[in-house]
Amino acid sequence: MVKEFSLRINGKSYKVRAFEDEPLLWVIRERLRLTGTKFGCGMGVCGACTVLVDRKTTRSCLLPVKDAVGKEITTVEGIPSNHPLKKAWIEHQVPQCGYCQTGQLMEAYALLLENPKPTRQQIVERLSSHLCRCGTYNRIIRAVEAVSRGGKA
Amino acid sequence: MITRRDILKLGGLTLSVMLMPDGYRILKAQEVPKRYAPNLWLNLSRDNYLTVFVNKSEMGQGVYTGLPMIVAEELDFPWERVRVRPAPAGKPYVDPKMGIQLTGGSTSVRNMYETLRLVGASMREMLVSSASKSLGVPREKISAKGGYIRVGEKSYAYGEFVDLAMKEPIPSKPRLKEEREFVYIGKSLPRLDVPEKVEGKALFGIDVFEEGMVYAVVERPPYFGAKPMKVQVEEAKKLPEVVDIFPISTGVAVCAQSFWACQKARERLRVEWSESFVKGWDDGDFERYFMQKLREKGDVVKVLGSPQRSFEESPIKIEEVYIQPYLYHATMEPMTCLAWVKKDECVVYAPTQSQTWTLEVAKRISGLPESRIKVITTYLGGGFGRKANVEFVAEALEISKRLGKPVKLIYTREDDIKSGYFRPYSATLLRVGADKEGNLKTLSFKIAVQPLLGGRASVEGVENIPYSIPNLYVERVDVELPVSSWFWRSVGSTHNAFSVETIIDRVAHASKKDPVELRLSLLRENPVARRVVQTAAERAGWGKPKMGEAMGIAYHFSFGSHVCHVAEVSLDKKTGQIKVHRVVTVIDVGPVVVHPDLIRSQVEGSVAMGLSMALKEQVKFKGGGVENTNFHTYGLLTADEMPQVEVHILTSKRPMGGVGEPALPPTAPAVANALLWGYGIKVNRLPMTPEYIKTLL
Ligand code: FES
Ligand code: FES
Repeated sequence: MVKEFSLRINGKSYKVRAFEDEPLLWVIRERLRLTGTKFGCGMGVCGACTVLVDRKTTRSCLLPVKDAVGKEITTVEGIPSNHPLKKAWIEHQVPQCGYCQTGQLMEAYALLLENPKPTRQQIVERLSSHLCRCGTYNRIIRAVEAVSRGGKA
Repeated sequence: MITRRDILKLGGLTLSVMLMPDGYRILKAQEVPKRYAPNLWLNLSRDNYLTVFVNKSEMGQGVYTGLPMIVAEELDFPWERVRVRPAPAGKPYVDPKMGIQLTGGSTSVRNMYETLRLVGASMREMLVSSASKSLGVPREKISAKGGYIRVGEKSYAYGEFVDLAMKEPIPSKPRLKEEREFVYIGKSLPRLDVPEKVEGKALFGIDVFEEGMVYAVVERPPYFGAKPMKVQVEEAKKLPEVVDIFPISTGVAVCAQSFWACQKARERLRVEWSESFVKGWDDGDFERYFMQKLREKGDVVKVLGSPQRSFEESPIKIEEVYIQPYLYHATMEPMTCLAWVKKDECVVYAPTQSQTWTLEVAKRISGLPESRIKVITTYLGGGFGRKANVEFVAEALEISKRLGKPVKLIYTREDDIKSGYFRPYSATLLRVGADKEGNLKTLSFKIAVQPLLGGRASVEGVENIPYSIPNLYVERVDVELPVSSWFWRSVGSTHNAFSVETIIDRVAHASKKDPVELRLSLLRENPVARRVVQTAAERAGWGKPKMGEAMGIAYHFSFGSHVCHVAEVSLDKKTGQIKVHRVVTVIDVGPVVVHPDLIRSQVEGSVAMGLSMALKEQVKFKGGGVENTNFHTYGLLTADEMPQVEVHILTSKRPMGGVGEPALPPTAPAVANALLWGYGIKVNRLPMTPEYIKTLL
């Protein structure tokens, strides 16, 4: 049941042994130690584990590792520090505890890939599938709006 | 990871602060007597960096920014060169006013403010003295600003003088800046923790690894108060990567080489649990039990005037019973801890709010003396009180001790909800009496609740109510149940602000008095609180909703701060769905605003959590255990439900107030009061779910 898998994450190749049905989340963060991707619920409800798989947002806690083979996976570590979204997150001092933020940022990143100029309504709708117990929602929305207006993502 | 010994070896100018029986003492690192231990360390290095070792947990409240900026202010040091590290746990890092190392009660900046200023100022004077000697220039000709010693045209980095400064005596009365000289205090400096949180590099409890470590999860009882009796492990142990499975004090530990193996193994586990008092209890059973307790005699905490008689004689009498549920903290990072109990050493990495209690459990379980124990505080992925309870640390220690290996314990979300330590359930009986003009003369309060802080939390915000009410009666009945209860952000004020602030509006409503006017008259003897209410009403444009259909107001004093919210609300009468559009809030924090944006973000967060509690949150019971299993059945407020929040900060001459908690309690009553005035709905329980609201329409 434990097998070796080849994964491509942030443009790099990794070989890792894991259970076939093991969610990608645990492989990324515990076996490969890319800990920017967080565990929150394990059932697709909170968004903390969001990564991109072939440029689409994916809740990595729900995707068995075997289904991620051959795909291009992007985690928060793969987004450059000077990316307008990361800069906006700092500019608007978004994080409190910070635990949900990498998932929020990945969702915003994917949204901007699909639609570089989302409206406020579209931003709110999209990010409403992510939980933040610290209540940073308004700052998240402001940060994404700023980048959307900037139109550079 | 840094230890006390490492700090002593740092070099440069290192000062420490120690609490002595006669007050604070500032000492040089090498002067710290062996058996005594200071409360705080600061190091200024030769290459001109200031490192502050903070004895508080960063759980989002910005303490890693707020505390260092106070030191940097008096030292007059560039913010880009300030770094912060968690202080190692041990006697040296005990909070001077609390006696234990604990982050809670909105106390961080409140308790440390003076000390941090003094120590920054001392460093600065020592640098000036040593510069004066080595440059041969009188002190008056030297200025110390922005990390540089300046003499005429010339400037030298502070770092150049650290070795000499270390030889200077500690000034007995360093000059503190006048308020108008402040360069940082009052400004929203960028938070030191934000960049690494945005990069995904911040180390939370769940992000720690140790060579050779084993993962663990704990299978927990299906109802409170039970212990494992019989465990069948054979099937589970057959799986690859499984290391061991055994009962511990709170359940059954499943240990494996990976988290996923633990999860798979626990599915094959068969456990029989012992009986418990609450086994079989559903929500209705809790309500019946608490209502029965509410009829019992409790402890009378306070009596002013003659509440009984004045109530009976009041032309306007209102009586109401409030029921408020258990609440779950729902930190986004669940409980997690890495512990390693070795023969002669014990190491704990934990997202803990209490280093002292963490150290205590480490001592108890490892059997080692304090000097052999290292506690490293990671970032906390949310705390809200929950992570001051260290049972999760104890579990990791217990498992590690048995295996002799480093153990990383992770609670699944399901485990986290099941593990309890909830904001306690409560039943409250309120009786208020007023004259015909609506002047509130009597408030009688009786609550049945599981006690926290020896019962003080049960009556928080009522026993010390800032309103002038001539006849006041406060009684509490302590309830004991196996369901564990604990501090939940704002503690007793969460339930008491709701019941008291809504009944105030019921009086206003019954006597056709404006609720702002009523509060202003009740606060006639408290000018600071009056101004808070008045300002909130003005800023919100009281009486003329801009975005919603109805407006509600609520005021509460807790953790040293006065807060008033005005909420704009609409109700869809068909569905019972409440929409909160806008919350205007005023907070008076006392004499200084250290960092306005930290206050704003704490208030925004408190409003979010307060609304979440008001509209959605309830721990439900089935069979004596928690029925909610994850976020799909324990819903939290989401982005589309978040109102616009406008925060106004006031100051007043009085002791410093906290900011992490006081804005939460008035949130739910402000919303409920809007429903009363806008729709005539009398809410007496939470949460205000659409199903519940529909029953009131
Ligand atoms: S952990 Fe994947 S959505 Fe919550
Ligand atoms: S910042 Fe703490 S959960 Fe979002």
